[in-house]
Amino acid sequence: MGSLNIHSDHGPVVNPCQVPSTFVPWHERERRSAGGSSGGSAAAVASGMCYAALGTDTGGSIRLPASYCGVVGLKPSYGVVSRWGVVSYADSLDCVGVFGANVDYVSKVFNTIAQYDSRDPSAATLETRAQAKSECQRTLSDWTDSSNLSGLRIGIPQEYFPSELNTAIVEPLRKLISTLKGRGASIVAVSLPSTRYALSAYYVIASAEASSNLARYDGIEYGLRVDPPRTADTTKTANVYAYTRTQGFGAEVQKRILLGTYALTADAFDNYFLQAQRLRNRVRADFDQVFRVRNVLSHASEHPHVPDAVDVLLHPSAIQTAPLLDAKRAHGDLSAYVQDVLTVPASLAGLPAINVPIGLGEDGWPIGASVVGQWGCDEVVLKVGKVIEGIQLTSRSLL
Amino acid sequence: MLVHVGRRFHFERLRQARAVHQHRPLVEDSRWPSWGVVIGIEVHAQIKSRQKLFSSQFMSYSNSVHLPNALVSPYDAAFPGTLPRLNPSCVELGVRTALALGCEVQPRSTFDRKHYFYADLPSGYQITQHYAPFATSGHLHLSKSDLSVRIKQLQLEQDTGKSMTDRRRRVTSIDLNRAGAGLMEIVSEPDIRSPEEAADYVRTLQTLLRAMGSSDGNMEAGSLRCDVNVSVGRLGGPFGTRCEIKNLNSVRFMIIAIAHETHRQIALLEAGKEVAQETRGFDEDKAETYSLRSKEDAPDYRYMPDPNLPPLLLNEAFVSRIRRGIPPLPASTRARLLSLGLSERDVDVLITIDANVDINYDGEARCGAVAYFDEVSQGRNPKVVINWMTNELLGQLTLRHDQQSSAHPFQSNPVSVAQFGELIDLVDSRKITGPAGKTIIRHIITNSSGAMPSALAAELLLLVGDNTETSLKKWCEAAIQALPQEAEVVRKGNKNVVNKLVGHVMKSSRGAADAKAARSMLEDILSG
Repeated sequence: MGSLNIHSDHGPVVNPCQVPSTFVPWHERERRSAGGSSGGSAAAVASGMCYAALGTDTGGSIRLPASYCGVVGLKPSYGVVSRWGVVSYADSLDCVGVFGANVDYVSKVFNTIAQYDSRDPSAATLETRAQAKSECQRTLSDWTDSSNLSGLRIGIPQEYFPSELNTAIVEPLRKLISTLKGRGASIVAVSLPSTRYALSAYYVIASAEASSNLARYDGIEYGLRVDPPRTADTTKTANVYAYTRTQGFGAEVQKRILLGTYALTADAFDNYFLQAQRLRNRVRADFDQVFRVRNVLSHASEHPHVPDAVDVLLHPSAIQTAPLLDAKRAHGDLSAYVQDVLTVPASLAGLPAINVPIGLGEDGWPIGASVVGQWGCDEVVLKVGKVIEGIQLTSRSLL
Repeated sequence: MLVHVGRRFHFERLRQARAVHQHRPLVEDSRWPSWGVVIGIEVHAQIKSRQKLFSSQFMSYSNSVHLPNALVSPYDAAFPGTLPRLNPSCVELGVRTALALGCEVQPRSTFDRKHYFYADLPSGYQITQHYAPFATSGHLHLSKSDLSVRIKQLQLEQDTGKSMTDRRRRVTSIDLNRAGAGLMEIVSEPDIRSPEEAADYVRTLQTLLRAMGSSDGNMEAGSLRCDVNVSVGRLGGPFGTRCEIKNLNSVRFMIIAIAHETHRQIALLEAGKEVAQETRGFDEDKAETYSLRSKEDAPDYRYMPDPNLPPLLLNEAFVSRIRRGIPPLPASTRARLLSLGLSERDVDVLITIDANVDINYDGEARCGAVAYFDEVSQGRNPKVVINWMTNELLGQLTLRHDQQSSAHPFQSNPVSVAQFGELIDLVDSRKITGPAGKTIIRHIITNSSGAMPSALAAELLLLVGDNTETSLKKWCEAAIQALPQEAEVVRKGNKNVVNKLVGHVMKSSRGAADAKAARSMLEDILSG
């Protein structure tokens, strides 16, 4: 929890990205965040310690660090990789995913770990996987060659360019889009109108589930144990637990536990938790509306036929490059939450999303683009990611 | 059962208004004239499954007594990184019970987390079916009270661990053996109007659960626990505010608790005070209920749809399959046995044994007394079989039963269906005598022998064929020699005393001698 990776017990993860165009070693540059919460894995790949690393993504915890550190990061479709063994944060959103130095490494690891596991009750069944595979074969067969993208339809969602978006991010993305268009891809402007509610819905749901999942760290079975002082009133069980939980959780985690606990109280449940679930369904329906491929998890018997339907969505991964670690944050600064605005919709809908580096910002730090596909179309997302990666390599070699 | 990864919440179902339904008026009772009592009961029955509700942890190993925390998987202890997996046996037993209660089995139900902090609840929440239970709208007919009690709903949920506090050492020990076991919560409508009807309800439900093989239903052992809602009202008037009495662990205490609670509420109302809605406990020594917590102190359980568990989808084909395999209820078993010509008393004997013999895991058929009787009766006269069973077999088993053991004597019956059947056939075809048959039963029980009765009869020289004139003569002469005074009395003409000599013949022949033949031979010898 905490998207800048600054709440860790061992100190912040420093972004190790070494940009090829500069001769200044990374550790002599200003300290930037590697992003979070799987920033450690992103940093390990970015620094060349490994070719690929695992991470978990609940609301953007793979895609953001990948974007900040200039590596590839895949959040697979929800339910495709087993969660058995993963310490739960928000079960309905948690995904195990992969970081890699390039798309091929990510594909290789993903194909190995994307297996049905009967120990994960939310695992997609073999039947569902087969259905999704045959659905995305139709898309894949439409374009076979990375130099000829005719038949590939890419949607640009208008809601993913918020006012907080740094303008320097837009330029490389624009260039990428025109290259894709030049290779024959159809570029379609699409709208996902519920996006504006996604962030609020996400924070209510994720916090509610987190408050539930973190209840076990009570100093009896798990977690730190703080004995109540001798003078404490221990007639109520809650009083005993309070000492452990007040000390054992950091400020950010406490904030989310309290928010989640509140959202689940009898008085708030309808207006917060249920409302958030309704919004989540609307976010999901938005995506189903724009994709050409039907959502095999949906109960709707017929896929709405939309003339301008697309195969994948393309948008900036982050509103900015890696934030400075040592910047002073004003009390009540919500920028850390606003950042999630671009990543949480795919999490709420359980869709596959990949970050691919698309160049450097004005400040010389990496910028990433996200490709999002229909549920189960991880292969499509990886393939488009590979095309984008290829474009980057070509343009770099032209320089 | 179908499960899928999609999560579509049916929010409309989550908020159902509790229908106020005054099904049955208040009933007059001489203990509280001009008042009536209204009772609803929530029963928690532990599901008799081999494994727990959401983990593959076995509930017991070979029926032995278990040390604390010996039956705990990482999931049961809420180990981080573990996930639940629904045990289909628990669902089957739940559906079987629901069908026996005439419930509507819901095609779609969901699991929710009920949150509270307690040391014997390691995850900090219990998984239950708060918003959408798997079965609703049933009824249980009480034949003794001639009353039909409506069942509001059945839900599947997890049991908690056990806390044992040693006040002297100021230490609480936690045992997680029970944590995560499957429970059925069976909620009645407030249709019960006296403590005795409440007892009838619980006893009838116990019998039904055992007949379904879904729970041992044993209150003393904790496999069945009751929470009772009690309110009172003036006859003809509306119902009052209800209080819940928690964790009653015997039917007798339940009767006492309800009676006390009824008197307490009436006393308050007659004094012009109000009954406060609260949760109460029961003090077994004082025979009184006492306040545990008021409505204001009631915890907010923060119910949340469990994000790990997909909805439970039960299609018509699944429900039909369970319906076809449903075991008979005790009432229909009784009627069937009576139609075979068994006496009420004999039927009672069989059914009472089955009410006290442990049921099998996962609803598997067990060899109870009725099943044993049915198997032995195949191709034999049921009346003869029941006589051998109740008079000889059960008699011998009870005689040799360890009084310390809590198990029913029939549970340790070593006489197999094949052995018992052949024994009855041997006697029936006069290959051995009745007393010889009894000797063989005793022999099998004492030695836990697996040998067939025909072999044993030959080995023990009990076959009637062995019982030749020569051996009978030998036994008779031995009897006369052993009892010279009695023989003398018979010689003088007192025929009654010949019985003593016959008794001796029977004893020395271990029952193999034909008593009639022995009598006439003795009379012959002694009159000569």
